[in-house]
Amino acid sequence: MKNKILSAMSVVATNTSSNLIQNINDNTILLESGLDSLGFAILVAQLEEDLGYDPFSMMAEPVYPRTFGELVEIYERFSA
Amino acid sequence: MKMGALDSILRARNPDLVCVTSLCNVWTAHDLCCKAEELRNSCSVVKGKRIALYCLSSLELITALIAFDGYASAMLLLPMQEDSNTGANLMAVADCDYALHSNAVLKSLSGNQLPSKADEPSQWLLATSGTTGTPKLITHNLASLTRTLKRNTERGSEFVWGLMYEPARFAGLQVVLQALVGGSVLNISSKYEFDEQIKAVLGGGVNALSATPSLWRKILMDGRIKDLKFRQITLGGEIVDQKLINALRSTYPSARITHIYASTEAGAGFSVQDGLAGFPSEWIGTLDAPVQLQIDSNNHLLIKPSIMPRGDEIHCRLSAEGYLDTQDIVTVSKGRVTFLGRASGVINVGGNKVSPEEIEVVIREVKGVTDAGVFGKSSGILGQIVCAELVIDKSENADSILQAVRSHCLSELVPWKRPAIFRIVEALEETSAGKRRRIG
Repeated sequence: MKNKILSAMSVVATNTSSNLIQNINDNTILLESGLDSLGFAILVAQLEEDLGYDPFSMMAEPVYPRTFGELVEIYERFSA
Repeated sequence: MKMGALDSILRARNPDLVCVTSLCNVWTAHDLCCKAEELRNSCSVVKGKRIALYCLSSLELITALIAFDGYASAMLLLPMQEDSNTGANLMAVADCDYALHSNAVLKSLSGNQLPSKADEPSQWLLATSGTTGTPKLITHNLASLTRTLKRNTERGSEFVWGLMYEPARFAGLQVVLQALVGGSVLNISSKYEFDEQIKAVLGGGVNALSATPSLWRKILMDGRIKDLKFRQITLGGEIVDQKLINALRSTYPSARITHIYASTEAGAGFSVQDGLAGFPSEWIGTLDAPVQLQIDSNNHLLIKPSIMPRGDEIHCRLSAEGYLDTQDIVTVSKGRVTFLGRASGVINVGGNKVSPEEIEVVIREVKGVTDAGVFGKSSGILGQIVCAELVIDKSENADSILQAVRSHCLSELVPWKRPAIFRIVEALEETSAGKRRRIG
């Protein structure tokens, strides 16, 4: 999952002309990763294309992940 | 009630004048009047009552309109593609006493038996073609529907109109009435299907055709009628972009290209024939314009037709000065007013309004893109994000076109207007009114 998300982030960064920071890890703050909120919204849409689901539309209560680790955890939780 | 306005127009014609043709039939003015009289005689209970014209074929609908204009107090035109629940709702809202089905089957309805007003023309009730929600009824009459039509029958006799729209909807009805009132031939197809319509156009000597921009792009991509010598090309119902006008100009060099601004709500508004998208900005706020126009503080186009349709739906959208808010967003630049899209169709990306039509125009500028459809996709992050479906030239490499589109959007559009997701599709989906579907 982590690799899928990293690869989608890289695609989004290319498509939006953004620069991702090096060595993204679980503690990386998402909005400091090089993607802004629009980039992040696009990432979620891109992941929905890739994975077939959008956890943010499946959540009863909205949760906004702050770090890369939290984002990965959300995607893993809804992958079943 | 004013008697038989449409009927009298046809009775005044040479009885042998050909009015309607199909691939295997021809109907003269006399034929149509006889068919209408026969229908009227078999449905005499409809006199002064409200009748729904329910999913009739083109010829049946035309016959019914001739029969009941000036005879019934109101006619509700129900399109073929309306689902039965919507149809039933509309008939109830319109207080219809009867419904005329195919093959002249007349059914009684539990209408409220509204009293008819003896000296008023028949109401023509049309359903709006909204892509979402319940269609709404707009009240017209023959005068409001034909206000801007050409009536020079000598000139009209040079035209054979094809019918690409459903005749029970506003745009299709305009074509039908233009042919009947203007003395032209109307060529009809057996079915409201693109393939059948193209065959009818090819076989019927059609030299005048009205369609939405989406449909014209499809016609150009289809290619079967590219060699026809059109004299009149009419576009309406959606924003007309310069690229399409140019494509039509180069494919049909001898055609006059007209784009019409009209809506079910406002009726026929005005037409533009100078080969440029939009309309001259000097038309705003002057009495010399084809119709009185204003732009309000929200950039909505306001229109004041000389004959305004009636009904609650219209009334609540009128300004103090009697202008109707068209809900169309416009922008003024270089002496031209151009349309950005519907107020309601606008995509909201984190509070930024994006007009799908504006993005489509940019995408279609890329070589190899034959058409583009842009819509908002709901996003848990930003409200909506912009998505685009592309139809591409099959002889080109899909990946390189996609890359070119992305680069073009990067250079031409601010970030929030750039489509986040692209999909390559075989064809774009349209609503039954031939307009682009914009539901994500």
